[in-house]
Amino acid sequence: MKHIKILFAIAVLVMALAPAGAQDVTTVSMWFSEGSTLDCWGPLMLEFNDIDPSIQLEIVPQADTWNVTRTAVAGGGGPDIVRTPGPSFVYEMAQAGLILPMDAFADEMGWGDFFFDWALDLGLVDGQLYSLSDELETLVMYYNVEVFEEHGWTPPDTMEELNALAEEVEAAGLTVFSHGNASWRPTNEHFVGEYWTQVAGPHKVYQALSGEIPWTDESLVEAIELLDAHMQAGWYGGGVDLYFTNDGVYRRTSLAEGSAAMNIEGSWAIRGTVDYFGESGMTWDWVPVPSHDGTDYFTIGMGNTSSINANSPHPEAAAQFLTWYFSPATQGKMLTNCLKGPAPVAIGEDVLGALDPRIARIYAALSDASANDRYGYTTWTFWPPKSDVYIYEEIERVWTGEITAMEYSEGLQELFAEELAAGDIPPIPTR
Amino acid sequence: MAVLTQKKPTTILEKLNDETWRRKFIRNVLIPWLFIAPLLILHIYVVTVPAVQGIYMSMTDWKGVGRNANFIGLENYRELFFEDETFGKALGNNIIWMIFFLTVPFILALFAATMLSQIKRGGMIYRSILFIPYVLASVVTITIWKNLLNPQRGIGAALDKMLGLEGAFGIAYLGRPESALMSIAFIDNWHFWGFLMILFLAAMQAIPPVLYDAAKIDGANRWQEFRHVTLPGIRPVVLFMFMMVAIWSFLAFDYIFLSTQGGPGGASEVIATLLYKNAFFRFEAGYGAAMGVVISIFAGFIIMIFVTLRRRGWDI
Repeated sequence: MKHIKILFAIAVLVMALAPAGAQDVTTVSMWFSEGSTLDCWGPLMLEFNDIDPSIQLEIVPQADTWNVTRTAVAGGGGPDIVRTPGPSFVYEMAQAGLILPMDAFADEMGWGDFFFDWALDLGLVDGQLYSLSDELETLVMYYNVEVFEEHGWTPPDTMEELNALAEEVEAAGLTVFSHGNASWRPTNEHFVGEYWTQVAGPHKVYQALSGEIPWTDESLVEAIELLDAHMQAGWYGGGVDLYFTNDGVYRRTSLAEGSAAMNIEGSWAIRGTVDYFGESGMTWDWVPVPSHDGTDYFTIGMGNTSSINANSPHPEAAAQFLTWYFSPATQGKMLTNCLKGPAPVAIGEDVLGALDPRIARIYAALSDASANDRYGYTTWTFWPPKSDVYIYEEIERVWTGEITAMEYSEGLQELFAEELAAGDIPPIPTR
Repeated sequence: MAVLTQKKPTTILEKLNDETWRRKFIRNVLIPWLFIAPLLILHIYVVTVPAVQGIYMSMTDWKGVGRNANFIGLENYRELFFEDETFGKALGNNIIWMIFFLTVPFILALFAATMLSQIKRGGMIYRSILFIPYVLASVVTITIWKNLLNPQRGIGAALDKMLGLEGAFGIAYLGRPESALMSIAFIDNWHFWGFLMILFLAAMQAIPPVLYDAAKIDGANRWQEFRHVTLPGIRPVVLFMFMMVAIWSFLAFDYIFLSTQGGPGGASEVIATLLYKNAFFRFEAGYGAAMGVVISIFAGFIIMIFVTLRRRGWDI
């Protein structure tokens, strides 16, 4: 009798718990690089789990995330949310059928309401939406305010003014730009892209990207020649050979401590800039990168993209997470708390108002530039992979005097034409 | 008599029915194969199959993402040898690298091992000190030397400051095309030669002391002892390491990638760094696989030379 009572009690308990057990919890997985970024982003992303207990986000830290992800996805596994380093990587995955088209989710969940139109276009492959772009980036010219004030300098608007200022900076015994590529060789492409945009103009770059004009166009070659001249003059890190040995720490400390006057770097560098200037006790500010005619051009780039794995057992839940993650509210919160580059979505004025005005000004200026046809293109976002690698590897041969700017451009043209013909060009926002 | 006339089993059926044959087969064939089977299966799964796949991939236009791979025959190899200038340059750098590592560390290691073999007390301290760099991870070694060779805060800059000079020693060794490759080779060698020294020292200690005594009685000086006793005594180890170092020279990757990533302007590019870039940055995995196969062919060629020498009676 005693045993029967115990069995009855267990049965009642099981029945009582049954509804809870029957409620399925769908887990949406996401792989993310280990490190300080995850330390800040992670807890904010996990706030998603409080919204709907039936869908839970699981963040799996990984080393070398992209290579691990693409290997796993190609093998039929991987996370539900597939993050790639940029639109050109999405193209390859979409072509291989490894990620899902998301047009139906976009319509159902109203992604078009908060994403900028051109931003959704970046995720198109053969007319279907395969990815959502994240971490909007641009390049600006940071400078050390105290150094400028001490010497009575004003930040330049044009390349001509930059020339004059550089002479004064060098005369004062300072380095013009605190640059080097020892930590990350693709840093080279930042300058190539900026000089094309600022010297030749973004419209010329657009024409070349569309295949209307070649990369050997006079204005584009001139831009490379000017970059080379500035490099040979020792503006970048104090000399060509020093540029190749200056690392990330040098880049930040020399600007923050005032041994260098300026630095052309991305909006992703804000966090480091804030930290290093915080330690040195000096003040930073920024201006647009000088252009040939003084127009404020901003190149647009994307830090990464998110897609849904074709092998995901619950794409609907993954899409719900993406809707929440890319919402202006979540992006605003991540920008405020972690200085994360926001996705290209309409973030409220109130969010920008809560930021350091210098940081808010970058995103406001970028938004203004994109609305008024003053935006350019970053090479890692809009160039096909082989051309992109060529841009940052072969420019070193120009700087070391092995080839001329024209030969460099001819080589790029040959490679770009191949990739253009093969249809490997990532989507480019039309002007 | 019956035993003498017993017929040896010849057909499989006869053999299986023969108890003696069956026992021999189990003991000499089946059991050894059973023991080796787990390792063999693992080897086939993780080495043979991927190697065969790699050879196949080298004849495709596979991009490294997805499963779309079109067979293009030897097109990748044609491009590699007849069109790609960077490959030729990288191959040249590999050969320079090999020449450096077949000379500098061998001379250093032979010299140090000879010296250390004569130390009776405290030799272990020297050995340990010289061997320590070998156990450091490549990332650590590169970080140390990138700082030491830094033209602004490294030893060169410190020397310049001490001697009141400007830019005499504080040179961007890793930032100049003419010195980048040799600077990395110097760093790698700093880490590597202690390992060779220990191997040579161990081989030297296996040489019977009576040979040295006999040489002394014959009036041999130090150089003659080294030339006629030490060197022949350690020759198998030296030649084996010659082969290994020659093969490793074509696999050089980590020190180069961590220090210059093949730059500046491709001055320190080697085949392995080029392979990595093609496979992972340019989405040319098939082409990268072709480079991998070429590296393997070079390694095979080196092994073949040594096998041939061995067959001709060389003591390797």
